[in-house]
Amino acid sequence: MIANIIQTTGLTRSYGDICALKPLDVQVPEGEWLSVMGHSGSGKSTFMNLVGGLDRPSAGSLSVGGEDLLALTEDGLARFRREFIGIIFQQHHLVPYLTAVENVMMAQYFHSVPDEAEARSALERVGLGHRLKNRPGELSGGEQQRVCIARAIINSPKLLLGDEPTGNLDHKSTIMVMELLRELRSEERFTVIMVTHNQEVAAWGDRTIYLDDGVLVRDERANSR
Amino acid sequence: MIVIKLIPHAVSWAVIALFLVRGFHAGRLMVIISGSGGFALGALGALVLFRLLPPESAFGIIRGGLGVSLLLLWGVAVMAAYRPFWKRTTYFEGTGFTVMCACLAGCMAGAVSASRLSGSGTSLAPYLALILVGGALASYAGAVEKRIPEWFIVGGPSLAAVVVALLLYGSSLSLRLDLFAPLTMKVMKFAHDFVHQFMESMLIPDHVFIRSNLWKYIGVLFGKEIGFWGALVIWFTPLLLIVYAIQFEPLPSVAHIRQGAERRRLLAVFIHIRRYRLIPALLAVLVLTAAVYRSCVPSVEYWDPKPIVVTATPVGDIFIPRKGDIDLEDGKLHKYLFRQGGKEARFFIIMGPSGKLTVVLDACAICKPDGYGQAEGTVICYYCKTLIPLDTVGRSGGCNPVPLAFSEKDDGVHINAVTLMNEWDNTVQTTTKVKGAGK
Amino acid sequence: MKRLPRLCWNLISSPFTCPSVIGIFVLVYIGIAFITDDALIVLMELVRRNGILVLLLALLPIASLARLIKEIRCFRSGYQISTGDPSHDGASLFDEAVELETAAPFDGIEETIRTQGYTIRKEENRLAAWRGITHAPARLIFLLATLCLYSGIFISLIFRTSYRGPVIEGEPMPGLSQDGGIVERIRLENGKGTILSKRLTIDVAPSGQGGGQASFGIYPPGLYQGSFVYPRYLGIALLVRFSAPDMHGTFEKHAVLNMYPAGKEAEVQIPESPYKLVTSLAEPDDGLDPYITGRMVFNVKLSKDKDVVLSGVLPGGGELNREGYCIAFPDYRRMVLTDFIQDYGVYFIWGALSLYGIALLYWLPVRVFFPRREMLFVRGGINDMVTAYSRTEGRERSHNSLFHNLLDMLDIGKIQPGG
Ligand SMILES: Nc1ncnc2c1ncn2[C@@H]1O[C@H](COP(=O)(O)OP(=O)(O)OP(=O)(O)O)[C@@H](O)[C@H]1O
Ligand SMILES: [Mg+2]
Repeated sequence: MIANIIQTTGLTRSYGDICALKPLDVQVPEGEWLSVMGHSGSGKSTFMNLVGGLDRPSAGSLSVGGEDLLALTEDGLARFRREFIGIIFQQHHLVPYLTAVENVMMAQYFHSVPDEAEARSALERVGLGHRLKNRPGELSGGEQQRVCIARAIINSPKLLLGDEPTGNLDHKSTIMVMELLRELRSEERFTVIMVTHNQEVAAWGDRTIYLDDGVLVRDERANSR
Repeated sequence: MIVIKLIPHAVSWAVIALFLVRGFHAGRLMVIISGSGGFALGALGALVLFRLLPPESAFGIIRGGLGVSLLLLWGVAVMAAYRPFWKRTTYFEGTGFTVMCACLAGCMAGAVSASRLSGSGTSLAPYLALILVGGALASYAGAVEKRIPEWFIVGGPSLAAVVVALLLYGSSLSLRLDLFAPLTMKVMKFAHDFVHQFMESMLIPDHVFIRSNLWKYIGVLFGKEIGFWGALVIWFTPLLLIVYAIQFEPLPSVAHIRQGAERRRLLAVFIHIRRYRLIPALLAVLVLTAAVYRSCVPSVEYWDPKPIVVTATPVGDIFIPRKGDIDLEDGKLHKYLFRQGGKEARFFIIMGPSGKLTVVLDACAICKPDGYGQAEGTVICYYCKTLIPLDTVGRSGGCNPVPLAFSEKDDGVHINAVTLMNEWDNTVQTTTKVKGAGK
Repeated sequence: MKRLPRLCWNLISSPFTCPSVIGIFVLVYIGIAFITDDALIVLMELVRRNGILVLLLALLPIASLARLIKEIRCFRSGYQISTGDPSHDGASLFDEAVELETAAPFDGIEETIRTQGYTIRKEENRLAAWRGITHAPARLIFLLATLCLYSGIFISLIFRTSYRGPVIEGEPMPGLSQDGGIVERIRLENGKGTILSKRLTIDVAPSGQGGGQASFGIYPPGLYQGSFVYPRYLGIALLVRFSAPDMHGTFEKHAVLNMYPAGKEAEVQIPESPYKLVTSLAEPDDGLDPYITGRMVFNVKLSKDKDVVLSGVLPGGGELNREGYCIAFPDYRRMVLTDFIQDYGVYFIWGALSLYGIALLYWLPVRVFFPRREMLFVRGGINDMVTAYSRTEGRERSHNSLFHNLLDMLDIGKIQPGG
């Protein structure tokens, strides 16, 4: 039996009157690729933030990788984010005046200590071996997103979160990024949770859940792929 | 009064106990018991010394113990700095070693604290009180240690550094136990001899042939200040070695781990912990600095009168009345200043324990002429902090003030101005002039 | 029986021997310092006299020689490993040694190593890569210098002999042998050196014993009949002639007087009389050093018991006649009070100092700019598994990170996809 890397019961998050996440029960087995869909404002990002330890739930229980996130102190939560989670956003959030390698090393620095050779080889793995010394502004959107992927996986996270990582990319780049992610996952065996509006992107996953107004409305397992 | 004097000693003993408990993992209770036991032993030992021996030798023995602890610290520091070459040893662990160290540290702390009681007789009661307080402080320190966060790590060498630094700080509070000032003199002597011998053995020409401005720099090595700087080096080098050993301890090998993030995490943890391990060593540096400061600027109250300007009669006679504004026979030191032809000389008059007046220069033959002050039963050379018993004032030699010829009449003391100026010139010249290597 | 010599060797060549011996001497010094003020001189005297201390001192050069031999061996076997001599077990010579559970080919990592500026040598089952210059020569020079220093100190302390004598113009060189050549000239000049303010030249004629013409300066000291000539003080050799009204006859004597520079006083005691002459070189009006120009004028003070009975100025060669006293210096010559020192340890110490300098000049730039970094991958053993070694003499973080990533690549086969 595969252990669940994420387990929530009655997970709730409300902002004042607005209840962004109604009591939610989800289990995600380790190694799964889960796509999250739903219209705008349905609480996808809220869910991701909770799972990634960027935000704390208002009620309910949330366990990620065996850690009870509600019980963790701020320091503990920071360590959890450092060592457990990798995140890719729609906006790349790269430091504009640092080169690609330096951007990756930045993530290493916040995790532990920088290691240039490792950062380089991570960029080589995402196919950017020839653009190591370029700044984000000199890279295409797809390349930028690949730097983000390198940055997200550099600390060997158990859980990779993607909040519409392909939202700004054209079709061809999207395919490239998705293929890269799948390849990396087969090597590193991390769990992926990916928010997307794109049916086609969601189809890359093993399973798709649909949120509507903070409520889980559908849970579909892909039979192919 | 005595209690106030003892407060810094009590605090430093409490801190020593705290570090001992944190530094040795062999069990809080055992460390506290052996530490307090050592403290009691040291205090009683000091009492026995003061009862059996004249104070100078008793203090000498305790000071010797402090010197040995400084030497031990040197040993520890050198070994720590050599550590990279070392295979791991288990000599310095285990219960027996812990008990011995805690006991020794306690013993020294007890002796140093107890020596402050020596001024007020040799009855047993105050010593027993001191021992009780010492035990209580050690237990209290043990309790406090539980509340100190875990990241505060005290390694073996840093523990030695802190303990010795605090002991030396305690000793610097008492003029007669102070180690730094005598060390200064020894170092000065060594530097002088060493440079001299080095130049002789390497056949390096003397100052007759060397350019005078270059000789100025070489002369520094023969000067008085070299003692201070050299003593600082001896004082602080072990601590710097320990800091070096911690800061440059090789990172652990992580080559066998096949995941970059995990490797980096291990290194980061090591580096992080290393930063904390530096804290005690740096603390020891601070404490030692305080000890040097205390030694150079002792807080002891001296009788230090401002020199009174005197003049000579045309035939060169300086007269100082026996009973005037100043009573020469009050047992206090009276300083005078005499000016002639742009030069000046200082001397002081004091009535010794034997009831005789003595006139001496306010300078000795070996030190910079910083002058003397009076402390209980002694005068003290401000430069080298040597205490000179009152009954030897008037004899020459060592750091004794240079005696001056004078004639004692019923009305007062007569001194020849020429003799005074010559005597002063000779003395001050031999102590301030840069001596040539060959004499 | 073979274990004893081995144990001795290990003891002697251990890096702790010299520090321990020095530690013992420091302790002895401290002990002496408690008793006397002249601790260093007493210690030196003690070492010369005491057999155990001599042996202990001799241990310093011996131990450093052993250390030197050991490190040369170590250096050689390190070299043999990197050049593929399989007879050595290298693990102890490297900082890190890892056995991997893979038999992957080295081709994948070769390019990565090369792009990082390493030089590669590849053989069938091994790949060696290195960068920078090794500091081993500096280390060996350093050890050699230490050996020289200790030997020098030992020789100098135990075997030094010295003799002090006046070197006087026109007289034979003093010394232990009686047949020194005649000193032709002593010349003092104002020098313009950065260190020495004076230049002194002592010219010596050939001596009977085959010693040729020789000339000595101040530094470096020259050798005369196997001894260093070490000028200490300047002075004047005076012929003093003196008569007093209450003395029978005239007193005449050669006196060697330490009276340089001008103003420094020297005494001549007139034997069997209460008279004493105190004389010094007068400061000349022209401000030139009389020892250099040779125009010497003497201040003379004659005292009888404690009273000064006569004082005056007397030019060299002149005469002072007053109140029945007659003082004359008919002859005056330059004199150099000189130590003749037989001590070959000095060469060793000079050698040591220059070797230390060379070692530093080599080590510093190499350590800062081109530290040696090496790695070695060897395939072998039962399943053809890869063993990897690495060693650095500086910049170890970046080297290690490269090394570890190469290991990752070999192990998991994370070779870049074409890029
Ligand atoms: N910090 C906040 N303060 C107040 N309300 C918030 C905050 N963050 C989110 N919300 C509200 O919570 C609801 C869910 O927002 P969330 O960002 O999760 O939506 P989403 O599904 O990610 O939408 P989108 O697809 O547009 O990104 C929204 O109604 C939003 O207005
Ligand atoms: Mg969103």
